[in-house]
This record gives sequence, C-alpha cells and structure tokens, in this order.
Amino acid sequence: MATTRILEGLGRLYVFMLLAFLYLPIIIMALMSFNASPFYQLPFEWTVDWYQSLWQNGQLISATWNSLEIAVITTIISVVLGTAASLALYRYEFRGKKLLQALLFPPIAIPWLITGTAMLIFFFGVGIGRGLFAILLGHVALALPYVIVVVSARLQTFAPELEEAARSLGANQWQVTARVTLPWIMPGVIAGGLFAFAVSFDQFVVSYFLSTPGQTTLPVEIYAAIRKGFTPEINAVSTIIIVVSMALMLLTARFFKFGGEK
Amino acid sequence: MRMPDLTALLTATAVFTSAFAFTAQAGEVHVLNWKGYGADEPWAVEAFEKATGNKVINDFFNSEQEMLTKIRTNPGLYDVVMINAAFNDQAMAEKLIQPIDTSKLPNYADISKDKAGSPMLDHDGKVYGVPWVWGLTALAINEKSFDKAPTSIAEMWDPAHKGRVVIRDDAVEAVQFGAIATGQNINDIKDMDAVKTKLTSLMPQIKTFWSSENDWNQMVASNQIDIGTYWSGSADRAKTHFKLPVSLVIPQEGAVAWLDAFSIPVGSKNVGGAEAFINYMIDPKFYVEWVTKVGAPVSANTKAVEALPEDAFNRKVMGDPEVAKRIQFQAPITDAQREVYLALWQQLKVDVK
Amino acid sequence: MAAHGAVAARGGLRKALPLLAPAYLWLTVAIFLPLSAMVFFSFMTDLPLTGKPWAFTLGNYAAFFSQSLYLTLLLASLRLGLEVTLWCIVIGYPAAYVLAKVLKGRSREAIFLLVILPFWSNGLVRIFSWAMVLREGGILDTALNAVLPFKINIDLMYSYPAVIIGLVHSYVPYMVLTCYLTLQAIDDSLIEAGRSLGASRLQVLKRVIIPLSMPGLVAGAALIFVPVVGSFMEPRILGGRTGTFYGTVIEDQFVAVFNWPLGAALSFILLAVVLVILAVASPVLRRAT
Repeated sequence: MATTRILEGLGRLYVFMLLAFLYLPIIIMALMSFNASPFYQLPFEWTVDWYQSLWQNGQLISATWNSLEIAVITTIISVVLGTAASLALYRYEFRGKKLLQALLFPPIAIPWLITGTAMLIFFFGVGIGRGLFAILLGHVALALPYVIVVVSARLQTFAPELEEAARSLGANQWQVTARVTLPWIMPGVIAGGLFAFAVSFDQFVVSYFLSTPGQTTLPVEIYAAIRKGFTPEINAVSTIIIVVSMALMLLTARFFKFGGEK
Repeated sequence: MRMPDLTALLTATAVFTSAFAFTAQAGEVHVLNWKGYGADEPWAVEAFEKATGNKVINDFFNSEQEMLTKIRTNPGLYDVVMINAAFNDQAMAEKLIQPIDTSKLPNYADISKDKAGSPMLDHDGKVYGVPWVWGLTALAINEKSFDKAPTSIAEMWDPAHKGRVVIRDDAVEAVQFGAIATGQNINDIKDMDAVKTKLTSLMPQIKTFWSSENDWNQMVASNQIDIGTYWSGSADRAKTHFKLPVSLVIPQEGAVAWLDAFSIPVGSKNVGGAEAFINYMIDPKFYVEWVTKVGAPVSANTKAVEALPEDAFNRKVMGDPEVAKRIQFQAPITDAQREVYLALWQQLKVDVK
Repeated sequence: MAAHGAVAARGGLRKALPLLAPAYLWLTVAIFLPLSAMVFFSFMTDLPLTGKPWAFTLGNYAAFFSQSLYLTLLLASLRLGLEVTLWCIVIGYPAAYVLAKVLKGRSREAIFLLVILPFWSNGLVRIFSWAMVLREGGILDTALNAVLPFKINIDLMYSYPAVIIGLVHSYVPYMVLTCYLTLQAIDDSLIEAGRSLGASRLQVLKRVIIPLSMPGLVAGAALIFVPVVGSFMEPRILGGRTGTFYGTVIEDQFVAVFNWPLGAALSFILLAVVLVILAVASPVLRRAT
C-alpha cells in the first residue's frame, strides 16, 4: 500500500514539525544563556559567564532544589490520590457524582491569582501559615484535577469485562486493580504525572503567596528578578534542567514501556 | 577625586563606629523591599552583617498592595519595610508601622530638610518613615531614533513615533502623566476629561505597556521603541551600567517624582537591628558603592549625594535646581481615587483593543 | 460510552469513599475552603483585613453588569479560549494520531515524553523567547526574508496573533497527550475491519476513530479552554496594546487597587460562565459520538 507509506511518512514529518514548534523557544532560551547581553541583544556574543555566575548564586540554586523537591513530591502524591479518585469515579455510581466531577474545574478555571490569595488568607487564618509545606499543600491540590481528568479519559477506553473476567478467575479487588486495570491505564497515569510535575514546577502565583523569605521556589525567584535584576542565569539554570530531564526521560523511554503497547 | 575619597573614608569610619554601637542586639533583620533594590545587594548585606553581627533576611514584593498584604498577614515577621511615601499614611492608619526614634540613626541628621520634614512621613510630630531615595518617572528615549533629544512631552504624540511609544501599565502613573501633559497638578486633577482626551489620543501611538525595567531594556536593546515613560534611576542604569542607547528626558512640562522611605513594622522583634539597617541604607558609603556598582536613584541624604563625583547623573541632572522646580512629588491617593483612575485606564485599554 | 454500566451499578458511595476521600479531602482543605472564603469576600463592601468597616452587598456582582467593559472583555476572553482550543485540536489531534497509530516501539515512548518536556521550563522565559522570534527583525522575520525572493516585514510581536501563538504553544501538549490516551486504546483490528468493509479513510476517521477518541478530545479541550479564558500573563506580555482581557482586569483588581471583593466577584462570574459552557457542551459532544 503505497498511499499508506506516504501517509505514514507525512505523519512522521508532521510530528517532527510539531516538536520543532514546541522546542523553538527552548532552543532560543538555551542559546541566550550563552549570549553576553542580558537583554537578549544581538549580534550573538558567546560567553559562559552566566553559568559561572549561576554557580555563585546560592539563592537561585537552593530555590531550584526546593522546586524540584516540591514538584517530585507533588507528582507522587497527586498521581496516587488522583488515580484512586479516578478509579472510584469510574467504577461506582452514586448520588452527587456529577457534582464531584464538576468540582474539579474551579481549581483550573479560577485564575491562580485568586486561588493563591484565597489560600494565603485561609492558611493564615487556620494556622497552616506559609512555607514549603503550605506550598506543597497548594501544589498537590492544583495538580489533582489534571491527574483525575487525564486518567479518567484513559479509563473511559477500558473495558470493564476485563475486570469481570479476572474476578471470575478468582482474583480479588486488589489483584484486579494491580494486574489488569493499572497496566491498562498506565499511559494515562504517566501523562497525569507529567502534567502534575509541570503544574508544580512552573507554578508561580501560588508559590509566590505561600513562600517565606529564604524558602522560595525557582519561579518565585525568576518573577522577582524580572522587575530589576533579570539575568540569563535564569536561562542557564532552565537549560540545565531541560538537558538533564531530557537525558533522564530518554533513558526512561529506553528501558520502560508505558505507552500502552500490548 | 581627592575630596570624595576623603569623605568616603570619613563616613566609612563613622558608619563603623556607629555600627558598633548596635552589635549588642545582634540577631536577624527581616527586610521587605523590591527585589534588586539596594537592600539585597550581596556586598551591602555582607558589609552590614560584618559590621553589626545582624543577619539580613530579604523578602520581596511586586506591588505596593502586595507589600501591605504581606505586613498585614505576617505580623511580627518583618523588621524593616520599604514603603513609598505615598503609601506611608495608609500603613500608619492601619497601624502596620511604628514611630521611629531618629536619635538612634546618626545619618538621619543629614537627610535633606524638605524630605525629612515631609508631611507624608511625619504624623503628629512622630517619624513613621526615614526618607531613603527619590526619583522621577520621566521620559526616556532610544538614542538611535533621535538626532537631538526632545524637550517636550508632546514628542510622545508625534505621528513619527506611531507604534514605537511605550508607557507603564499603571493606572495612577498614566493618569498623572496625562495631568502633566495637560498642564495640571498631579495631586489635584481638576479636569479629568482633558486627561482622558489626551490619553485617548496617545493610545494608538503605543506599542505595548511595560511593567518592569527588564521589559524596557529588552525593547530598546532590540530597537523596537523610540520613546516612553521610564524611571530616572533605571534610565541611568541602562545607560551607564548596561551601555544601552538610552537617555533620560525631563520634559519642560514636568515629571512625576516619588520618594521611597524605610519604616519599622509594628511587632518587629529586632527594632535595634532595624534601626542599624536603616541607618546603613542612608549612609553615604553604601550609597556611593550602590551608584557605582549598580546604579541607583537619588539619595535623600545630602551628604551621600555630595559624595558622588561632580558630573554624576544623580548630582548634575537630578540635583539641578531647574529640575527641582518642574517636578511634582506624588501625594497619597485614596482608594476611591485609585479605583476611578483604574476604571479610566481599563476603559482606555479596552477602547484601543 | 456506556462502558461503565456493568460494574458501576453494583457499587455505591460507600465503596467509592475510601478511594475518593483522600483526594477530595485534600482539595477541600487547599482549594474549596479557601475559595469559599473568597466567595464570602465577594459579597463584602471592603476587606475586614484592613480594619475598615464593611457590610454585605451585591454591588460587586452588579458592577459586572453596570459597565459594558467587563462583558466586552469576557466575550473577548471566551473567543480567545475558543480559538486557542480549536487550534490545539487542529494541531494536536493529528500528531496524537501519528503518535498512537504510526510510530511504534521506543521512539513512541520517547516522543510521548518529549512533548511535555518544554513545559518543565519557566513560562515567562518561554514568553521572552517568543518575543525574539516574533518581533520585527526577529528570527521569523529574518528567516522568511532569507528564503523568500521578495521583502516582507513580519512584526507579530505585541498583537493578537502573538497571544494565540504563545497560548497554543503552551497548551497544545495537553491535547496531544489526552488524545493519544484514547487513540492508542482503539484496537487496530477495528480500523482494519472498517477498511476491509470498503469504508474510505475519511469514513473510518469519522465513524470509528473520532467517536472512540472523543473522551480524550473532550478532556483536552476542557483542560485548555478553561484556563485560557482566565489567562493574563501571556496576553499581557505578548499582546501589547491589544493584550487586555478579562483575566488582566481581574489581576488589576487584586494587584493594583486591592479591591479583592470585586476581583473575586469577577472571577466567580467567570467560573459560572465556564461551567455553564462545559455543561452545555458536554451533552452535545457526547451526542456527537
């Protein structure tokens, strides 16, 4: 089938073009981390100064670590809680289910600025206060709806007969979930986790309201820097993060299968 | 060069001796300020910590409203807060800041009289804010677009600059700028319709609304703009520090001036440390270093300004008595006024969409 | 999609509770209760926080209707949300299809991950990079002029298209991944069966592929449309003079004038409108399957 071949070739080309579109700003960001001008001025002048000064910038580095830590913990918690909730919403029928599903949208729909302010006031009022713990509390809550929506979308493609079959073979609920359901929805869980990480790692507004001096996250540092002291050190640290995560991801893709292939 | 060196040395000794008086109350000083605005310079923090034994912990805000919220929701956390003089009144009325014992600040005596006595900072004979630096919101130009620097604010309306004009996305500043363009007092705008008409005709000229120094510098570095409103200290820094083709223009019609001051929040756990820090911030030695290394607005301390070289921008241009006559200092604005300004500004932005 | 039926009917709230409780308790503490406080504020004349006298009022909600400005901007934001969502579908869906049905093996996993990776970088830094691409004399302008035989001037920066480009870039991965999740689940034999029965590619797409992948498409559209309507950062920076939207006026109420009650009221109106749209759209979409 020659047409199929051509169509598939075009498809591959298309995906490649989409990746180029997605990575265009990232490549520019990385290039500018090697440019001498702090204002992205051209012509390009090669330098590694920003990497050197990044090394000296303890505040930026510690904020980066905080962000990574919070993002990883957020991802784990929200994936576990979110997947559990999606399973419940998928399996059981009860009054108020529609309401629970609708309740996933306020955290996404209300601008984070309002949610952040609300959290600040509420946490202050009930004594949770600010700090890394409060930030984590907020991030998980923001990431949960994304995980639930994404995992639920995958669950809708799941045939309940598979669970039934496993059950009739004597498997209990846990075994059914672990052996049958989870492997099927794994691509959704992974995608949900990736979103959760992105939501937390790039979360500025909520972190901003809930951070305390000395306990900030990377986006908070970046946004505070924009007003006066923006330097391409920020590009440098972002570039390092992207390169390292890309290496980790490609490694993961090399050794694990989670795309849902049978 | 001799004289400033000598003064610097003398003041350095002075700050050290005065600083030693405070070492007794060593502890942490929590400072709330804009980021990259003097108080968080690593060399300054280090020098202050070395001299007084206090540890400085900086926290930042991105708007005055946010600064007020942070003090409201964190009683007892901050020891020093930088408040624009126009907001001092509100902070005092809400009982967020406490009177300052200026006898504990040796450098306070050198603050220029008109600023130290400002009714915006002193209430009932008590000082609620120590004047730190002041500056202007004036015009700045891209030198590449002009053979000769303009002198009038009207340049912003020149069709030759259509689509290459910028203005800050700030309702109060925009309205006050409109007041200057229509020859009115910025603190007592009588003819609001004239301001509106004037700004309406400016909107089609505008490329974008800037919100940070970085925005401005990026746009001028890529030659996307000709002229726009800008802060005096930032224009000077762009030119001298970043070598960008920027010069400040203080138009003949005038400019908006602002005064930044330090206050001590109610509930500060280290008032001694706070006093030492504020004293250090208004010290000439710190100021000269700040101007040289980073670029800064004009100090409220007359001795600090005199310690700058004769031809320094902050001394020559900003200290010019002719300039002093033209500029208008921002007075406090009520919430109701602010909302009227915002409504006007939002309407203008929607109409030009 | 009546797939649930069999298992679901036998369940109930009691069985669902242990799985649901952790997530919803977390959401209650960190989102619902704080937002309830905000709902409360939205009916106040002033914040109790400032120590000024306050009273209950409907004025903040009335303000929305008293000025044409808010409605104009809300409509502009809804249009923005719709356009961005449509572009994301147009760009993202085919990519998801290729990823799910054409690419096989390791490269598929790798690309799956690579699609989301750019979003582990900072949003603002990405927007700055777009400025480099879109402005006059920027990368797009220079590249096109190098290729094309005639001179054109491309200055997309600070315009409505710039806002669209920036937002589509930020949100298209959601569409790619959610559509992938449902497209991948479609059994290849189903498609082959359709083809062998003489259906054209287009018919298979319309009758089999799109209906079966609908849950992913809907989830992706919701995850894009909803936040874009309230967005303020991208419009403000990329839109220049035209960058005023509903989200930016809400931001102004919070940041510039400290009128949280009005800002909160405006956001709850936004929430209500968005929920109504989702409620109206979901049966329509479901019927389409």
